[in-house]
Amino acid sequence: MNRRLALKQLALAAGGLALIPSCDFSEEKVLAAYDELQITESQQKLLQKLVDTIIPKTDLKGATELGVHDFVLVMANDCMSAEEQKQFLSGLKGFDDYTKKTFGTRFTKMDNAEAEKNVNAILEGKPTSNGELASQYFLQTTKKYTIQGYLNSEYVMTALMPFQLVPGPEFNGKKEIVPGEKVNING
Amino acid sequence: MANLNIKNKQENTYGAIVIGSGMSGGFAAKELCDKGVKTLVLERGRSVIHNKDYPTTNMMPWEFEHRGQMPEDIQRENPVVSRCYAFREDAAHFFVKDKEHPYIQEKPFDWIRGYQTGGKSLLWARQVQRWSDHDFEGPARDGFAVDWPIRYKELAPWYSYVEKFVGVAGFHDGIPHLPDGEFLPGIELTAAEEYFKSIVEQKYPGRNVISGRCAHITGNAEYYAKQGRGICQHRTICQRGCPFGGYFSSNSASLPWAQRTGNLTLKNNAVVHSIIYDDAQQKATGVRVIDSNTKEVTEYLAPIIFVNASALNTNLILLNSTSKRFPNGLGNDNGLMGKYVAFHNYRGGVSGEYDGLKEFTTEGKRPTSGYMPRFRNVDKQETKFLRGYAAGIHGSRSKDVNYSGTGADLVKNMMSPSYGPWRIGSHMMGETIPKESNYVALDTDKKDEWGMPQLKVNVDYDQNDLDMIQDYRDQLAEMFDAAGFKNIRTWDDERRPGLDIHEMGGVRMGHDPKTSLVNKHHQLHACQNVYVTDGACMTSTGTQNPSLTYMVFAARAVDHAMKNQG
Repeated sequence: MNRRLALKQLALAAGGLALIPSCDFSEEKVLAAYDELQITESQQKLLQKLVDTIIPKTDLKGATELGVHDFVLVMANDCMSAEEQKQFLSGLKGFDDYTKKTFGTRFTKMDNAEAEKNVNAILEGKPTSNGELASQYFLQTTKKYTIQGYLNSEYVMTALMPFQLVPGPEFNGKKEIVPGEKVNING
Repeated sequence: MANLNIKNKQENTYGAIVIGSGMSGGFAAKELCDKGVKTLVLERGRSVIHNKDYPTTNMMPWEFEHRGQMPEDIQRENPVVSRCYAFREDAAHFFVKDKEHPYIQEKPFDWIRGYQTGGKSLLWARQVQRWSDHDFEGPARDGFAVDWPIRYKELAPWYSYVEKFVGVAGFHDGIPHLPDGEFLPGIELTAAEEYFKSIVEQKYPGRNVISGRCAHITGNAEYYAKQGRGICQHRTICQRGCPFGGYFSSNSASLPWAQRTGNLTLKNNAVVHSIIYDDAQQKATGVRVIDSNTKEVTEYLAPIIFVNASALNTNLILLNSTSKRFPNGLGNDNGLMGKYVAFHNYRGGVSGEYDGLKEFTTEGKRPTSGYMPRFRNVDKQETKFLRGYAAGIHGSRSKDVNYSGTGADLVKNMMSPSYGPWRIGSHMMGETIPKESNYVALDTDKKDEWGMPQLKVNVDYDQNDLDMIQDYRDQLAEMFDAAGFKNIRTWDDERRPGLDIHEMGGVRMGHDPKTSLVNKHHQLHACQNVYVTDGACMTSTGTQNPSLTYMVFAARAVDHAMKNQG
């Protein structure tokens, strides 16, 4: 607290109101992603369920609660090449049918335990058909972005693995590790 | 009409003109203004004012729509600038996009530019190693270029002068070919780097590992507060622009300082078309400027002109400054302007892991890392290739995250990172040999939207570079092995020239007007009220990041101009 105040005073001395946080995060990006990728309401629900399956609520907040499914779509819309996007959408659109055919139940109808088991099975499986390949690619990509969106969320980077925008001038190149101390990937 | 002309001429007349507001131009402007000269700085890009125009500097990681990654369409449309390590969501607005300012690659060349107040001084890697006579005497000793007309002894006091103002953190390492500077407290190495240092010094006498000298304020707070800057807070996101002014840039230091003298006029969106030469007076009298928005042409007059447009753009402006006296470009009597372009060879890389020092990690962040000064051909020529390389050395304790599983298992795995081995990496910083065949020239047909000829770039690697890369890989791998590092990998990333972002030459310094363009005071031999103190005047490249030396050139040249131009 004292340190924070000292840093704020230093900031004021150095550059005025420089450290007042700016935030212009746009909902437009999210809407654009849904629109441009032509995601239907049922596909949105599927993706939300999938994201929730990959990182569910535990004693910690789950991914869906943090809006990670929106992040997944923004990344698919903006950061994939046309070919990657085509594969992703193909996997998404065919996923319910694929799980119906393979596991007997549409993904969106599965209970949590069944959904998790089957997602794992697809991720770890060795695809032998185009449908299997498309689903695996879709799941791998969704898992990758789900993890990225979750770990880079405000919740994780403030409450769980704190990130410091202004760490301060101390650097210790040889700090002794205290046994049992939690490792912070953002520290 | 006559009165209008006279008034207009007076308004557009200055004591000096500086083309470019980056590292070298900004410093030239500060020096001129400090000495009481009414100075016009011409910047072709938009205005960027310290702190006011750093849109991402206070953004948290989760506030970036793509969490830092550049969208695919932007990358696809900008293949050149997308290869730059800092072209990401937080700094992309400070880079020239590929279609905005086209150039002609006769051979592949990545020209990375920043057109705004401060230029690339906002974006630089902030390493500031001094040159020594190993560098200035290099061309003469090894016979690959004309002799530099200056030596370290003449520059040493200017290095100290510039370092003091800039704020340089470093240790006094006592290495003759990498002289110590005017240092603020240095930033320590990590445990793994210290360990590697001890092995190198024990097994390879004459080789050193040091903390890279960097342009970050680590002390003397009262002195830098007078510039409006504060102590570096180790954010390590300098490319966004630093709210504390903790690292040096024109925007945080030189230009505000110059502004406070009351002698500075800074004009943005000012495309310098050419320098005006008066045949009767036999000197340059001013510059012709195109407003990048309105396309209006204005002439500004001054008895002294500093050309600091950055290396290749300085070549372009001078080549485009033709007159009856100089049909091939201002000062280009010998036809060598644009030739002997060089760059830094950054292709090599090495990595490894260290299983020792298990009980330690690092705490906090730091804006520099380890540095190994060059050790090849230092006292004499000893390898197949000429000159040599320095190496970055960075050792950090890895934090391993387990991403396996799904559901509650995945959550538990992600939230239980563990320490892995120390990861040691190295990157190569090699000197390249300037060659007449490496050149830039004006295209006579293709012009940009302001009527400027497009620049043709014909620059490539040669066998000397390839041999150097192999040696770097072999030597670093050997030293890593001697230190007991495991999983050692070496690579050549085969990047195109230019991606080192240290292009130099074309308007080289030398003693003889027949074989060089600029004299020992940085004046064009043939037009001595024009000074060139940016990368264009480099006769050879050294291995060091050149920005510090460019500022030294600027300060020393302004001093000369004040004593000699009236």
